[in-house]
Amino acid sequence: MDFQTFRQVAAEEAAALQIEEYELYYQLEESASADAFRHEIKEVSAASEGGVCLRCLVNGRMGYASTQRLSEESARSLVRRAAGNAAVLETSDPEFLVKTGQSYQPVSTNNAALPDAAALRRTALSGQDALYAQPGVVDGSTTSVFAERVCIAIHNSHGLDLQYENTITSVSMEAVVSDGAEDGEKATEFRICAGALDQLDLPATAREIASDARDALGAGVAPTGNMPVIFSPKAMSLLLNGFAEVFSAENAQKGLSLLKGKEGTVIAAPSVTLVDDPFYETSAMPMPFDAEGTPTRRKNVIENGVLNTLLYNLSTAAAAGKATTGNASKSRYDSKINIQPFTMYLASGGLTQEQLLQKAQNGVLITSLGGLHAGANAISGDFSLQSAGFLIENGQKTSPVRSFTVAGNFFDLLKGITAIANDPQPPVFPASSTAFISPSVLVEGLSIAGK
Amino acid sequence: MISKEICERVLQKAASTGADYAELFAEDTLHHYIDLMGGKVDSVHDAQIAGAAVRVFLGLRSVMATTVDTSEAGLLRCAQRAAEALAEGRAEVSITLRERLSGDIHPIRIVPASVPNADKITILKDACSAASGYDAAVKQVTGTLLDVDHRILVATSEGLWTQDRQIRTRMMIQAVAEINGETQTGMCGPGARRGMELFETVDPASVGREAARQAVTMAGAGYCPAGVMPVAIGNGFGGVIFHEACGHSLEAASVAYGNSQFCGKLGQKIAHEKVTAIDDGTLPNEWGSINIDDEGAPAQRNVLIENGVLKSYMIDKFNGRRMGMPSTGSSRRQSFSYVPTSRMTNTFIAPGSDRDEDIIASIEYGLYAKQMGGGSVNPITGEFNFAVNEGYIIRNGKVCEPVRGASLVGKGSDVIQKIDMVGGGLKLGQGMCGASSGSIPANVGQPLIRVSSITVGGR
Repeated sequence: MDFQTFRQVAAEEAAALQIEEYELYYQLEESASADAFRHEIKEVSAASEGGVCLRCLVNGRMGYASTQRLSEESARSLVRRAAGNAAVLETSDPEFLVKTGQSYQPVSTNNAALPDAAALRRTALSGQDALYAQPGVVDGSTTSVFAERVCIAIHNSHGLDLQYENTITSVSMEAVVSDGAEDGEKATEFRICAGALDQLDLPATAREIASDARDALGAGVAPTGNMPVIFSPKAMSLLLNGFAEVFSAENAQKGLSLLKGKEGTVIAAPSVTLVDDPFYETSAMPMPFDAEGTPTRRKNVIENGVLNTLLYNLSTAAAAGKATTGNASKSRYDSKINIQPFTMYLASGGLTQEQLLQKAQNGVLITSLGGLHAGANAISGDFSLQSAGFLIENGQKTSPVRSFTVAGNFFDLLKGITAIANDPQPPVFPASSTAFISPSVLVEGLSIAGK
Repeated sequence: MISKEICERVLQKAASTGADYAELFAEDTLHHYIDLMGGKVDSVHDAQIAGAAVRVFLGLRSVMATTVDTSEAGLLRCAQRAAEALAEGRAEVSITLRERLSGDIHPIRIVPASVPNADKITILKDACSAASGYDAAVKQVTGTLLDVDHRILVATSEGLWTQDRQIRTRMMIQAVAEINGETQTGMCGPGARRGMELFETVDPASVGREAARQAVTMAGAGYCPAGVMPVAIGNGFGGVIFHEACGHSLEAASVAYGNSQFCGKLGQKIAHEKVTAIDDGTLPNEWGSINIDDEGAPAQRNVLIENGVLKSYMIDKFNGRRMGMPSTGSSRRQSFSYVPTSRMTNTFIAPGSDRDEDIIASIEYGLYAKQMGGGSVNPITGEFNFAVNEGYIIRNGKVCEPVRGASLVGKGSDVIQKIDMVGGGLKLGQGMCGASSGSIPANVGQPLIRVSSITVGGR
């Protein structure tokens, strides 16, 4: 059964149950991938996955149910399950479905078909060749080429009928370098780059990966203490990723974000402007509408240190007496509505990374962060994270250091930013619908634990 | 779910272009979640995951295709796509499937789907109200009750046709406490491969109180000092140290590709002689337990390290080919849409002979990590990290004031040699483990242990 027929059956069932307001969110992902390991193709896959999530309003409360089975029986049971789930809810803030008649900014998406299996295999093998051509690389690990065609359709009982299609291709490469000694030290580095397969410069990516991994060899132990810290673009974007949920109005309203009641107040250093842009020019997934079907827009979340707005969806905006910012999101078709940024970026300052190093004089440059899902608490803002990077001595980046931690509090960190560079890099996870971009940032008042 | 005859035709199609092994995995899963926020039912959701994956192997190459269309025509199209992607000539294959019954070592008494929402909500409310009522400092409580009914079918060109039904139930309570403007969180999330009878042995109110106790204790705590020191790690979820520092590096997904610090070390001493570590999928009704793995192999008890000596890796069929070793019943996947690989089930450090009080008394100055959070590892370098959710300073052999915001970092191959005291009180803790084959339920566990020296991140 196709989605159009499924939708008609669901409409009949909703009418029979006297459910006037409902929404069907349909997502289909067709994907293909090829993995190469040591110059040989190891795994190939062709996947097709998707399903339908139905949300319906019963007494102003929203019930959810979803299925991957498109059949008459599952369409009918989907409506009954969602209505049954709505009936036991006790929330007090009303929920809404989006109205029709709004205008949507057109976005340019990629309409290409999925690359064929031969092209995927060729790209994976050329990624391996590029890695093994680099000095010091002892293992080209696995090069993965991934292509996905995403189709999203949102249909609701007000007559909304939105569709979105986009094809995203990406290559992930990882290399292990060694210092050459038997059983010697190893260092690893990875990159994911998104874009048309024939336009990606894999040799350039391989050079960067190998060079960064070689620079990390011979790493020592960082000192322990309070010192200036520079986060590289990659490290700072990972940190923003780890704490993005503090900007969710839902978390604020539920007492799960310390930014509750802070709109219009200073929460960061004056140099900080943080933007959320659904139309960011290099985004792999620009979006004209959010997961509730609201038109999206660009907004300054922090402007010159002042919290300009939190991110809202329909129900949290209504509860705050504001208009939604169009930030409703779903991580999968069957997840409940959540709030997320699209491309969130920290606006560049006027300095180079060298000037930041001069300003810091002595401290550490952090180029890699790990364990954000466990070591960063978005409710308290506290973090204590595994780090790797370089010492900063007399204003210069010097020897590599690893296996140390950086600890502090995200809300203090925003206020402790003393300089922002002008060197933003592509996002660490460029093929995702939520991406984070940052230049290098100098922060005072963080604690380093090493030797 | 899908008849033997259809499976035979699908496998014959899958193997028709030269594969030396073909496998059909099908599932029909119902996830049910109830969320409470501030004492009120905030959301109720159920999700049906249903589909199939066809895998074919030829030597060290694997191809997988998936579909949500589990009609015979849909499955045959899926098999055709897998066969075409392999495309190594033509083969006429005849496959006859024989059913195998593995038996259920994890009986379920009350299937969650047969319990009305109202009864589940009562249980969840008991937990949440116990958390809010614990202390005036508790400002917010969120709770989730989830149950999963996961039916799988595995058929292979070796003639296997078998099914399993895996039911799991878990409650997770998170409390947020604020004292003098300092906000901290506490979490308690017991779960098991059981139905609603879980709550005959797990008291919902005590789950809520435990989450609240952690949050209130930590909100009143100062920051953990930073540095290198001895650490005593509590039982239960403390076992995450072995999971991250060592467990992932013993999975065939790392070992087969040379991406592990423990490659080629079978039979060698890699850990302190006090360390014996086991991965056991057969423990009755435990959170990470299985009857069969996702390639249809029966669950096993695998001794990974015995008195410090490396005895076994955790191996799935495909990666086992590269290693020249048989499966250890370790193949797992979140759902049909993930390529399965070797993963952990219930992984723990076995009880030792040290007394808990002697472990604490042996530390002049260090950290007692009573409750751990999650962590992660890079298996190639072995560098790992994990968070300490509830910590205390140990001074002159005594547990003193609580400290917040700590994490532990190190290198797996170093730290397992520094586990030099192991207590007797083994306890398991529940978690979700994320890796390439998705998010799967896994138990970690250990008695109280001492790590003689490790880097503590604090400030």
